[in-house]
Amino acid sequence: MRNFFYSTMQWSRLQRNRNLAIQGVFLFFVIIFGLYLIFQAFELEISLSHFSSRAGFGLSHTFLTDYTSNDSRWNAYFTGVINTIRVCLVAILLTTILGTIMGVARLSKNFLISRIAWIYVEVLRNTPLLIQIIFWQIIFLQLPHISKAITFGSTSAISNRGILLPWMSTNTNGQLWLIFMGIIALASLSLSYFFNKREDKTGKRASILGFSISGNLLGILIFGLIGVITFFAFGQPLSLDFPLIHQNTKGTWLQSGGFELSPEFSAILFALVIYTGTFITEIVRGSIQALSKGQTEAAQAIGLSNYQVTSLVVLPQALRSIIPPLTNQYLNLTKNSSLAVVIAYPDLFMVSRTIMNNSGHALPVFFLILFTYLTLSLFISIVMNLINRRVTRIGT
Amino acid sequence: MMNSPKLNFKDVKDWIMSSFFSSKLNSVLTVFSSLLLIYVISSLFGFLSSAEWEVVRINRRLLLLGRLPLEDTWRAWPILWVVCIILFSSIGAWGAPSKWELLLMSLAFILPTLIFFTMPHIWHVVVTFLICSISYLISRYFIKKSSYLVQAKKVLIVMWILILPLTFLILRVGGGPPPTLWGGFLLNILLASVAIVAGFPLGILLAVGRATKLPAIKTVCTIYIETIRGAPLVAWLLLAWFVLPKFLPNLFGLNEVSVVIRAMIVLSFFASAYIAEVIRGGLQSIPKGQLEAADALNLNYTSKLIVIILPQAIRVVIPAIVSTFIGMFKDTSLVFILALTDLLQVGRLIPEQDPKFFGRQIEALLVVASLFWIVSVSLSHVSSKLEKNLGIGTR
Repeated sequence: MRNFFYSTMQWSRLQRNRNLAIQGVFLFFVIIFGLYLIFQAFELEISLSHFSSRAGFGLSHTFLTDYTSNDSRWNAYFTGVINTIRVCLVAILLTTILGTIMGVARLSKNFLISRIAWIYVEVLRNTPLLIQIIFWQIIFLQLPHISKAITFGSTSAISNRGILLPWMSTNTNGQLWLIFMGIIALASLSLSYFFNKREDKTGKRASILGFSISGNLLGILIFGLIGVITFFAFGQPLSLDFPLIHQNTKGTWLQSGGFELSPEFSAILFALVIYTGTFITEIVRGSIQALSKGQTEAAQAIGLSNYQVTSLVVLPQALRSIIPPLTNQYLNLTKNSSLAVVIAYPDLFMVSRTIMNNSGHALPVFFLILFTYLTLSLFISIVMNLINRRVTRIGT
Repeated sequence: MMNSPKLNFKDVKDWIMSSFFSSKLNSVLTVFSSLLLIYVISSLFGFLSSAEWEVVRINRRLLLLGRLPLEDTWRAWPILWVVCIILFSSIGAWGAPSKWELLLMSLAFILPTLIFFTMPHIWHVVVTFLICSISYLISRYFIKKSSYLVQAKKVLIVMWILILPLTFLILRVGGGPPPTLWGGFLLNILLASVAIVAGFPLGILLAVGRATKLPAIKTVCTIYIETIRGAPLVAWLLLAWFVLPKFLPNLFGLNEVSVVIRAMIVLSFFASAYIAEVIRGGLQSIPKGQLEAADALNLNYTSKLIVIILPQAIRVVIPAIVSTFIGMFKDTSLVFILALTDLLQVGRLIPEQDPKFFGRQIEALLVVASLFWIVSVSLSHVSSKLEKNLGIGTR
């Protein structure tokens, strides 16, 4: 016994062995806890098999999926995922634009503009997002009735049934033309990449009719030229589709055509864009301020205009320190989109919660929610890391 | 700050020309933004002139305290007084407030008073005012000049932490209402405070665990932090609603804990993951020389951690922790998913109780938003003040 004790003491003198022992004890407790959770979970339903059965509830937004209440719960879930992705994509795009503009405005020498940006940030950053979502919903529902809709000519209309915007409509050739233009876009991208590379190596530029032009411009020119020619060659495959508000024979007001932003979608979109925009404003402002003043002064010294200084010198450099916190904000935005549940926009979270309530199997649905949000977050992180790698590259 | 105009005609003219009309683009922007400003201000005045605050006036008790029974509302006053004593002593002990801070402070006190003022409570308000001024004056003119200032500051910091147990004591002492009846603004503040105070120790452990070189501990901590941060708070609250009662061991009646306590548990775990990330940032900011010096003194890992690393790391991240608190405070409005009547939920429900309040949602929402706003803005100001006081980034 004494011998065993002695040898244990000897063994534990090594830092490596002590580390092993600590980790062993830690893992032991974690595994005990995990096993306890798993045994508790065995008493609950843990399979997702009930997802194949009929959902039995309708959804107000069935973008791309044409879901009906007779479809399976999987279909309902995918509709929710698509609704989440749809609102997040649009919101990320718009909030980046808003945040960048406001961040630059915050540093403007124009007293009025910088104060407006300051008030925007201070007021909206410090109120909960949930209040803003509910606020926008109330605003959109208080808009005039559809019979008295605010119209801008016949191009777009605003009423309490949502915002109607003009949108593309395709005829039979349209999809073919879009595919064709996709190929042309790829081709011109690789063409300009090739010419840029050649210019980097040899200094030779492409020349058309004696004008030497850069690779980027060449790509855009080719893409535009082929686009315009084929647009007419395909018989104008795309046309603008204007929304129409009319009454049917029973006197019910209908709206058709165009692109429809429902009040719920607009409310969650506005709230997400404006709320996240305040954080992005602060990120952009911080990054620009962190930039050394010599950069701005040097750009001014070589005679660039204020706009050029901002767009060519300041923003591209600030982008390096902007992107990591920006990624965080995108992730927050994605997670915050689950608050759409409060205004009954059928996003991933709301649909899953409905399934949870209907089926009574909370645990597997919860893990599905967790898994989906983790996947979305991972996707955003990967894309942003790729962009970050490109931006932080030294040199070209 | 912008270069302010002096009272000289030429300077004013110069300032206006250079600030507003320095170029064509700038002039256009000035015109547009002033139009926008005029539109916003005029619509705000239009709203205020037609607003009716009856819905808020009648329901002010609900907004502040939720369904707390009428005979228990007195419990709110001692809590407010304790907070006021400590708050104003701290303000007095740590520094003289500037003009802006005085404005912010008076706003933070006058606005709720304006909204929630009633004649029967006039003595309570007078007492609150007296307590505030007396504790400020005492700490400003006696404690600050005494030789015990450092000790007094330490006592104040401990008192800040002790507020929370004291609040629970005041709420529960002598047959107080059960937690299910807590609500309104009180609930928001309680939930956020509990989340931060309970999440802080756990957050430290997680951050240290994630920063160690031991792979097993590191992996478990990382998985915990990233999973918690990966899903939205509403999902975790939903877990508390559906799953948590089935998982807790059936000891001490844990399965029957009220939803409020469940919300506190989930919020604490949620906050701990975010605090861990904040503290990790602090750990990384410690200069390498500190660690080498600790090694040179032959300190072992534990004492190195407790004596050298953590004090510096936590000191650096205090402002960020306050920001986390602000975020948690705003996020407490999400407990609507557990059917709790927090401030926002009360604000949403009260216009629906009576047909004469129909269409008055904006008024109720505006009051709710302004309460959240005042607390958040004051705290973010405290955060930036702490940043300056602690000298972060300057040494």
